[in-house]
Amino acid sequence: MARPNPDKLLIGGLAVLYALLYLYAIGDLDIARAGWNWQALDWQWQRLWARRGPWYFEAVAMLELGVLVLLISPANLVLAGLLTLLLALNLHGALALRANARCSLSQGAASSAGLWPALLAGGACCAPSLLLVLGIPGLGAFVGLFAWLLPLSLLLLVLSRCWQRRRGAPRVLRLL
Amino acid sequence: MRSSHRTLFQALALSLCISASALAVPPEGPARLLSASHEAYASAMLSGGPGKDGIPAIDSPHFSDAASANGFLDPQDIVFGVFHQGQARAYPQRILVWHEIVNDSLGADGLSITYCPLTATAVGFKRGATSLGVSGKLLNSNVVMYDRASDSHWSQIAGVAIDGPAKGRSLEEVRVVWTTWARWQARHPQTQVLTRATGALRNYNRDPYGSYLPLQGYYADPGVMFPVMHQDSRLPTKRMILGFRTGRVAIAVDRAHLREQAVLSYRHGDEHFLIIRDEQLDTGWVYRSATPIELDPASLRFTAEGPQAAELEGLEPLNAFDAMWFAWYAFYPQTVLLDGSPQP
Repeated sequence: MARPNPDKLLIGGLAVLYALLYLYAIGDLDIARAGWNWQALDWQWQRLWARRGPWYFEAVAMLELGVLVLLISPANLVLAGLLTLLLALNLHGALALRANARCSLSQGAASSAGLWPALLAGGACCAPSLLLVLGIPGLGAFVGLFAWLLPLSLLLLVLSRCWQRRRGAPRVLRLL
Repeated sequence: MRSSHRTLFQALALSLCISASALAVPPEGPARLLSASHEAYASAMLSGGPGKDGIPAIDSPHFSDAASANGFLDPQDIVFGVFHQGQARAYPQRILVWHEIVNDSLGADGLSITYCPLTATAVGFKRGATSLGVSGKLLNSNVVMYDRASDSHWSQIAGVAIDGPAKGRSLEEVRVVWTTWARWQARHPQTQVLTRATGALRNYNRDPYGSYLPLQGYYADPGVMFPVMHQDSRLPTKRMILGFRTGRVAIAVDRAHLREQAVLSYRHGDEHFLIIRDEQLDTGWVYRSATPIELDPASLRFTAEGPQAAELEGLEPLNAFDAMWFAWYAFYPQTVLLDGSPQP
């Protein structure tokens, strides 16, 4: 039986969209009044892992492009890349299983549930902003738990990918 | 014998460390009213999200002149103005919202200019030889600072150390004026202005909490996100008041009420207070006396130092700062509120 071939363009598009959303959620990507400017801090190795919060790191450079502001933090980009890769694998598996009629649409959606904690984790760096978005007064008492959102997200994405593989989802690039 | 020598040396080293730490903590300020014990405050502290120094204080501030700052600041932008030892400096809210503390020096004094976006409080403190950092903890939704000499926790609004080796010690405050860039520049044309060369990279064109012009986001929302010790509904939660306190009383003046007055008088026991509206800066100045204060508002004039009048000579100026009503009340539930309503 021929292996299903999920829409790579769709997966790629969604993965890129997710990466941008994640960077926006953690504040490294912003749409705001800005000029045209490039700033970089003096090079020091320790700046690469200087933390702003749990799983959230300082930028080493900033790029302003009209109305777009990009804070460049290698560690944040690595985390965003890892999450995006896992998401893409999950989407690939979900679409393949769905095409194979082995898995319903709801199961496919559930298998990618790990992305939501990651997006929420973006707010852990600036918890008040997240609480404002959620609009739940008093939730601040639990803000310390936000530090667990990103590892939770990674774990969920890995588990759901393992589950997909057990259900017969094809490997990607013969590796994962 | 060797063992006893070692113990002696260890004790000496420990006492030297403790002495050095005690010497380095910020200078002692006046005793102020507290509505709870230090222990109660310490146990009410909770995490605000970012960890210790996750919000980085500015330790090597850079300044520009007013003309250069006009390229970055709009006339209506909020700045926190300090005039100390003959020198004026403006700290843009757009920068401090990302850093909360600037460890600065004016004249011979080391100062920490602090700002808490969640309570809209900007307070200056003499820091001595040490510096302050953002602990990542909140008390009544208000920033809790730490000093880098003893690692004690200091509440910004209470102005007191609530735990650590400095517990119980109060900070000496320096007046910080919450005003706009246009107003501050008009009063202090020679002012210096904090620049964006902060040592960290942030998007200083955006306030992560909302905006003051127009009033949006957290600043407009009536919700209080973090638990507070006391709540009151006489004013809207985020209404701005001008607050001051002595060892015996805390007083909040509704900013909207103050704008309608030239001067306000209030007596509490044998303490007489005079609150003078400064129209140019849109703020108030507070004086205390043991006797009733008579002042003709027409005799007032305002200079870089603040209000000037013959009747003010000999009066004790008190520090005052703006705050959201909910935050002031959370710290001072016994506060007097001057909002135009009849006083009991």
